[in-house]
Amino acid sequence: MSGLSDLRLGFIPLTDCAPLAVAQALGFFEEEGLAVELVREASWATIRDKVAVGALDGAHMLGPMALAAEGDVLAPMALNRNGSAVTVSTALAGAVGAAGEGLARIVAARRASGQGLLTFAVVFPQSMHNYLLRDWLVRAGVDPDQDVRLVVIPPPRMVERMRAGEIDGFCVGAPWNAVAEAQGVGRILMVSSQIWPAGPDKVLGVNAALAAHRSDDLRACLRAVIRGAAWADAPQNRDALVALLARPDVVGVDPAALSRALEHEIIFHRDEAGLPQREHALWFLSQMVRWGQLEAGRDMEALADRVYRPDLYRDAALSLQADEPALHAS
Amino acid sequence: MRVLVIDPDTARAALVAQGLEGVQPLEVRRSAVYDEAEVLAFAPDVVVIAAESPDRDTLDSLKESGSGRPVVMFVDRSEPGLAEQAVRAGVAAYVVDGLAPGRVRSILDVAMSRFALTQQLRGDLAKAKADLESRKTVERAKGLLMRERGLDEDGAYRLLRKLAMDRGKPIGSVAADLLAFAGVLKGEAP
Repeated sequence: MSGLSDLRLGFIPLTDCAPLAVAQALGFFEEEGLAVELVREASWATIRDKVAVGALDGAHMLGPMALAAEGDVLAPMALNRNGSAVTVSTALAGAVGAAGEGLARIVAARRASGQGLLTFAVVFPQSMHNYLLRDWLVRAGVDPDQDVRLVVIPPPRMVERMRAGEIDGFCVGAPWNAVAEAQGVGRILMVSSQIWPAGPDKVLGVNAALAAHRSDDLRACLRAVIRGAAWADAPQNRDALVALLARPDVVGVDPAALSRALEHEIIFHRDEAGLPQREHALWFLSQMVRWGQLEAGRDMEALADRVYRPDLYRDAALSLQADEPALHAS
Repeated sequence: MRVLVIDPDTARAALVAQGLEGVQPLEVRRSAVYDEAEVLAFAPDVVVIAAESPDRDTLDSLKESGSGRPVVMFVDRSEPGLAEQAVRAGVAAYVVDGLAPGRVRSILDVAMSRFALTQQLRGDLAKAKADLESRKTVERAKGLLMRERGLDEDGAYRLLRKLAMDRGKPIGSVAADLLAFAGVLKGEAP
């Protein structure tokens, strides 16, 4: 026996899995007394199911997905801010324009000439990406439910689907927008921080039983992931982070595509990026109601408070601060 | 029976075909990834997907729409509870531990009947909602007739029913027309 507590965590191949990947690769979990098995999963639905039944103790997760689990899953930490973007196929990008100003005209012209609807993809119904894309479409004067077709495609499949001409645009997290652009398949028209600077994105979702019965292990896990996030945020570690994420067992894409969002957008740790904010949960819930995923009239504040747990984050961060003041000096 | 297996590995498709031996007519196709055009063209009765396939998210999202299909997902024995959760989370996702050819037939049958049942419940719910809406419309049209024609409730209803029979239309639709025309006569925009 190693004397360490076992923990199984899952992730999806995306740049914002970095706090988990770093904590594992640099041995932060072990230093916090945990033997972590970090499992790469292929789909968000599988992440959701596995965390809800405890086949995984926790995972890299879409913020709204944790809320949709209605209490089976808690979000004691946010993994990042920013990072998603709207990309449109190279063929269409010029006519659509940077703010989507030409989109309504294209939609009307296609309708008049009897062509099919444009197809846009998001990564999951309950995701920041779905709400961002819908918001972008609404701003462009396009009804997301009537004027275009919205489909769900997992992040690693987005670029190949666009190349095959099956989708005209998508909203996905880094690095897949930059990958599409680097391969000449699509053009990034809008990054999420243009609409919402330092807006919410992924969280660490954990099985509710872990928080209830293994609070020490959860605190140890949060400490390790906070350290991973702080390391990933530090500019001097950028090259090493890119090399880690580029590994085929992590994200597995070209380092140049990974660098882009890391350089300009994604925040892992500074400015309390890791704190799971109640306002973010409430905004997600309002979007879920707006787009018919959640019935109106529920006690949204109670649901937000049950799932988003800044208290657990603060508890871990404070204990870490006592041990490692330098980590929070920034 | 048309079965689509979405799996990069050919072994599962072979097992599924083996387990369905004797079913006539039978067509088992395998595709490494989910391809919408192919699914539409093939119109499978049931889709079998590897739990480790990213395309599960696409199938999962379709269950809310009319283009959903019964889905069977195979997962390892090593993940207890996942099967129950998938059944709970996904209307049609029916997960089993492991895959023995002898069990394939019954698993696919259960998934298909579950799916049909869910579709029916969904249809019933939509119909119940529509019925309720129609009843409200009829009530409002009755009120209008009682006011405008000085009829009692029973008389108003009989008039509506007669209009419906004369025109061969449902009473709810006649009531809706009546309310719409009354609105126009009162000067509301059509």
